[in-house]
Amino acid sequence: MPQVDYNAWRITSLSTLPGWALALAALGIAAAVWLSFRGIRSEPSRLRRSILIGLRVLAGALLLALLLEPGIELRAETRVRARVALLLDTSRSMRFPASTEGTTRAEEMLRWLKSHLGELSALTSRFQVDVYGFDKELAPQDPQKLASAPDLRAAGDLLAQGPSTDLVGALTAASSAGTGGRPLAGVIVASDGADNAELSEGMTGAAASELDKLRAPVFALPIGAQAVKDLAIEKVVVDDFAFVRTQVVIDVTVTARGFPSTDVPLVVRREGQIVAQKTVRVGSGTERVQAKLSFIPDRTGKFAFQVAAPVYEGEALAQNNSRSFVLKVIRDRVRVVLVVGRPSWDVRFLRQLLKRDPNVDLISFFILRTPGDDTRSSQDELSLIPFPTQEIFQEQLKTFDLVIFQDFGNRPWYHLQQYLDGIGEYVRDGGALAVVGGDQAFSASDFDGTAIADVLPAQLLPPTAPSVDETPAQAHLTDAGKRHPVTELVSGAAANETAWSRLPRLPGLNTLGAVRDGAQALLTAQDGRPILVVGEAGRGRTLALTTDASWYWSFVAAGQEQGPRAYETFWHSAIRWLVRDPALTPMRLTAERTTYEPGGDPPALDAHVRGSDYGAAGGAQLRATLSSADDPVQRPAGTAVAGQDGTARLVLPQLSPGAYKAVVTARRPDGGEIGQAEEAFVVAPAGAELSRPAPRPEILQSIAQATHGKLIDLGDRLDSLPFHDPERVEVGQRKTRPLWDKWGVLVALCCIAGTEWSLRRRWGYA
Amino acid sequence: MDPICASLDRMQHWSRRSLLRAAFASALAWPLRGFAFGEASRLVFAQLRHAGRWDPHPDGLPRLAWEVAKRTSIETSPAVKVLAPSDPELFRHPFAVLSSDAAIPALADAEVASLRRYLSYGGFLLVDDASAQSGGSFERSAREILAKVLPAAKLQRVPRDHVLYKSFYLLDGPTGRSVARPDVEGIDIGGRLAVLYSPNDLLGALARDSLGTWEMEVVPGGEGQREKAVRLGVNLAMYALCLDYKEDQVHIPFIMKRRRI
Repeated sequence: MPQVDYNAWRITSLSTLPGWALALAALGIAAAVWLSFRGIRSEPSRLRRSILIGLRVLAGALLLALLLEPGIELRAETRVRARVALLLDTSRSMRFPASTEGTTRAEEMLRWLKSHLGELSALTSRFQVDVYGFDKELAPQDPQKLASAPDLRAAGDLLAQGPSTDLVGALTAASSAGTGGRPLAGVIVASDGADNAELSEGMTGAAASELDKLRAPVFALPIGAQAVKDLAIEKVVVDDFAFVRTQVVIDVTVTARGFPSTDVPLVVRREGQIVAQKTVRVGSGTERVQAKLSFIPDRTGKFAFQVAAPVYEGEALAQNNSRSFVLKVIRDRVRVVLVVGRPSWDVRFLRQLLKRDPNVDLISFFILRTPGDDTRSSQDELSLIPFPTQEIFQEQLKTFDLVIFQDFGNRPWYHLQQYLDGIGEYVRDGGALAVVGGDQAFSASDFDGTAIADVLPAQLLPPTAPSVDETPAQAHLTDAGKRHPVTELVSGAAANETAWSRLPRLPGLNTLGAVRDGAQALLTAQDGRPILVVGEAGRGRTLALTTDASWYWSFVAAGQEQGPRAYETFWHSAIRWLVRDPALTPMRLTAERTTYEPGGDPPALDAHVRGSDYGAAGGAQLRATLSSADDPVQRPAGTAVAGQDGTARLVLPQLSPGAYKAVVTARRPDGGEIGQAEEAFVVAPAGAELSRPAPRPEILQSIAQATHGKLIDLGDRLDSLPFHDPERVEVGQRKTRPLWDKWGVLVALCCIAGTEWSLRRRWGYA
Repeated sequence: MDPICASLDRMQHWSRRSLLRAAFASALAWPLRGFAFGEASRLVFAQLRHAGRWDPHPDGLPRLAWEVAKRTSIETSPAVKVLAPSDPELFRHPFAVLSSDAAIPALADAEVASLRRYLSYGGFLLVDDASAQSGGSFERSAREILAKVLPAAKLQRVPRDHVLYKSFYLLDGPTGRSVARPDVEGIDIGGRLAVLYSPNDLLGALARDSLGTWEMEVVPGGEGQREKAVRLGVNLAMYALCLDYKEDQVHIPFIMKRRRI
């Protein structure tokens, strides 16, 4: 058995009695001493009184010693070394530049580690030094191996893989990890401070409380803090969708570090075009600025937007000076302007239908009097107003989703000539125009040879031709009409044809020229005269209805016990088609996801193509082009061929961060265009680690303050830091020995008790 | 804003070239195209034939059609369609007139059902009391018929701010050959005035004989009252075709200004 070198001792109790029993016994002994004192307090002899009390106290003490069984504990003690934890930030933000020279933060951290390895070794003589990497979690690291890497840049990139940064979590975990009972003398943290967990919004009370429990100072080395100048669009808050012609507000948070008082212009771009801008003042103590930018989207669709600030010279990061997002602009209501050349029943029923439709915001203008009319009154006795042609056809035109000309012609007293080109441009730019028949419509409209005629789906006959053929017309579906959503009154081809054939005959039609290439006659009379022709002009859609009696399909049909449903269904479908209701577009394009990660899965678009007959366009050739929020130039991005079901997937190339707009054009195998569809998506780092990578030395400063530590510099010696070094010993072996022989104490107790008893008897006490 | 025909005062500012163009177009081309759709696209009044004296003023409706065509851009037909309430042809003429100067015999069930459908799906019915006697036999019988046709609805006074009084002319209230009552009554279906009950013999004020003289004397206002009756008739036609168009926001400031004048 090896010789144990006991170097410490202490008095201890060897009693096996529980503490409460010993306490009870002590109380009993005290009571006995007190009773003894009470019984002899009338004793006149002070000597006798002292002897009796003394004996009782001595007996009580001996009894207590007997119960306590005092002993000596011999101990072989060793002193325990406290721990120092070194935490190295291994989150992905450490791959960003530490300064404008291009050194990464991880690289700078490893250089620092390499240059202080000797001091770490020196610390091991006083403390146990544990080295960890931390990001979302804590993991042990070998400092020798890290520092000895031949390429510190590559080693840093390899090291900085963590998906997020949790400084408080790392410190808490480090204080309890593998302690073995060793106290924590201090923590050294090397980090950029870009916390995106508990401290993402700064120090909180809960975090400070957690840090206080460490009972050890934290010495924080801010990495990347040397590049003190940085401006960042830290956060952009905007709804996922907005309503067209309704203001959209974008909340932008700008952070600036190291800036003097500076006016920073913020711009919002939609596919290269600036839609909103605002200047905010940063610097001079103002590190975080909130700004609201607003704009009014003028058309529906999905768009790529970018909020950007200039990149100033000497900034640590240029990537965070812009932020992209996708906004889906939808209609709250279809805004329709109904321009009518003369009140009629057709006008009345259509206006009533549009007025009742909660999805339609209707503006209507009727010509109630012509120059030949004699009202026999002054103007003040009439409710008539001037026709606001400039307001409708110039100022407000682009706010309308659909313009309807009903029995309306280009009369010279309207002075429309100056607006006709603008109306044509409006249609080509994505607007919609419906021309409904009447005495003043089509070839009687004087629109022949104007921009209006150019966008119509059929040619206008010259004004000299008869404008109306009064032969009653029964509407028949053409082949195109059988498949077109506008003419689908009921589902099922046969049922739909029957529904149309049952509708009342129309009392004559406007005459119309040839249907234009690409346009389609959907309804014709029994003799082939076109009733309904639809077509596209540029990005817009047009419709020609050659009757002023479509109300027959409502009221006259109601008289034939059919009800007005066919009329309502027809017009609702027509309006939805004209304004490109997504449900009625021949081609749909959907991004697999809204946001893609740079370097992750490449963006992919799913296309579903239907031909002009609304059947699956198998074999359609798809070609994708891409533009970004800051660059409107469409660049080729991929091709695909639709399968027999008309679907195809286009996989796009890897893209750098930003918001992108993809336009996919589908063509028939013979080269004819089927249609186009657009989709927008964002390529952006997922999560806050890479989206808010700016160094935040202030976070490290607040940690140091909360733990009574301090910030350190790259050159500070580690072995001279004021670690907290608590005394703690570890007992290796111990041995106990009783102090007194139990029997001897018992005999002494008996003798004393007997002596006290005999003296009390002799001196007259019971 | 550019002026158009809807505004006389703005028309006075036409350039000479515009006037010449308009005159040329009016004289040569436009009139030739007018009415190309025939009667189908015009406003044609339907006179309801019943077992009583259904046509107390044969010239009243043609005159109203003439006045509407002359004063407004609405194209009308002088021919009045005389139809039984159950005639399917009635549904080609959404403006119908029920009139008499005596009690109307009860309508058959089929006629009641047809009229109910007619009014429910968008038809407009002018009930004109040619007797101009408040509480007379016509009124009692007409109310009974309307109660059968639209049992859930009730004739109610048409307020003076109703669009009927500003659909073309700015009017203070209703009138007719007489002033039996100061207000008209109506039945509203889905926000639309589907039935208008005129107690003042509106068509009587418009009736003219073949020589062009007025058939009935207008009391108590004389020719001024007759003009107001014509204007009410024009407003009725305009309301039937345009409904509440004049209540669109764009019209309100103009109308309010003129009301104040």
